Amino acid sequence: MKEIIDIVDIKKEIKKDRRAFIKNVLSGTIAGSLLMVIPAGAALDQRLPEQLPGMRGNDSPFTEKKFAFIVDVTACIGCGSCCVADKNEYNVPDGNYRTWVERYIIDDHDEVFVDSPNGGLDGYTKPRKDIPNPVRDTFFVPKLCNMCEKPSCVQVCPVGATYKTEDGFILVDKKRCVGCGYCIQACPYSVRFLNPVSRTAEKCTWCYHRVREGLLPACVNVCPTHARKFGDLNDKKSEVYKILREPHVISVLKPGMGNQPALHYLGLRREVV
Amino acid sequence: MEKKYKSAYYSHVIKIALILIIGGVLAVWARGLFLPDTMGQYGHYRGSDLEDQRNVEVRSHTNESCYECHRPIRLVHKAGVHKTVSCEFCHGPYADHITDGKYVAKMPVKRDMEIKTLCLRCHNEIIRARPEESIKVVAMPLHLEEKKVNVEHNCNQCHMVHDPLLWVKAAYDMMGLEMKGDKK
Repeated sequence: MKEIIDIVDIKKEIKKDRRAFIKNVLSGTIAGSLLMVIPAGAALDQRLPEQLPGMRGNDSPFTEKKFAFIVDVTACIGCGSCCVADKNEYNVPDGNYRTWVERYIIDDHDEVFVDSPNGGLDGYTKPRKDIPNPVRDTFFVPKLCNMCEKPSCVQVCPVGATYKTEDGFILVDKKRCVGCGYCIQACPYSVRFLNPVSRTAEKCTWCYHRVREGLLPACVNVCPTHARKFGDLNDKKSEVYKILREPHVISVLKPGMGNQPALHYLGLRREVV
Repeated sequence: MEKKYKSAYYSHVIKIALILIIGGVLAVWARGLFLPDTMGQYGHYRGSDLEDQRNVEVRSHTNESCYECHRPIRLVHKAGVHKTVSCEFCHGPYADHITDGKYVAKMPVKRDMEIKTLCLRCHNEIIRARPEESIKVVAMPLHLEEKKVNVEHNCNQCHMVHDPLLWVKAAYDMMGLEMKGDKK
């Protein structure tokens, strides 16, 4: 009952002077004010283990961290746990994928066959029958947002709906986006799609909301073979720092595009695009 | 220019200048009216969207969240070779089960042949792109024939799904045998 009275009070406030109200709200702590405007959603269970240290309770708009994502192609088994977790987390409409897993098959004539039935969401249950020659190499490549240092999608957005935060996340503002689709064309990695429900551009965010709560991205959390790794490059003890600093064969997708992705691949073959 | 061609009146210039100035002011005012208040707070985007992005619901939790209540499974799952497999992969997201700390709906439990489909999603040898270090793969029904069991058998008749080697190891121990290829 008290909550209802509170909401009515807020409505009265807004009616009195909308501009003053908004200013008041913004001058206060944004976090607190939003709780007032938006009905309190699912408060995160604070008993959840903190997977990324020093993130929980940090209310500053940007963190001091430099996140990197590493996908170990040599460990991926193509189970599609990541795709399932991603769909669960965001209720991604059918036929669209924020992350997906591709199967590469290279035969001994160096011909490359790539497929990704339903984005790997249902897993890989059937072998490909249309390979004419003996298979030389076969592997799975999980794909997701590359979180470029120089994102082309941000550059082309005419309304400032997609942007890069100071800590390196490229996000899409659902309220600003007009669904023009420029960013979808600009992305060299094809990670963006137009959400058929909201008619706005959408893409993988490396689970920004989870990371800010100290949780790993949903796909990293579920990966059974630890093929997906996520961490802070400013933390010299983190796994990603060690991998990226120590000698390994590390590559990014389409380095020639000059986007400088923060998504790195371990054991990637040259055939992968 | 000769002086006689030059107009002595500047009213037309003043009119144009006024129209431009008023138009400009109106445009700036209208822009401010349509732009969100936090636009440009940190850059060319709506600053308050950062907060909106943080308020996205966390729907998938960790295995630890499940273990909070499901104690017996915790002991088995955490100790076994499936410890890295997420509960939510087979049972669905946490938020469908618990919202705001309250029970909302039952989680689906896979039964019968669904289990076999689920097992073979990862352990099927026929999909060759599976690194040996990551996973043990089997060919069906070759595996069943090798182990001399009925080819109609379901995976969970020998393998406890939460720790696939639990019963197998126990059986080997009982017989006083050593498991072949036991890496642990």
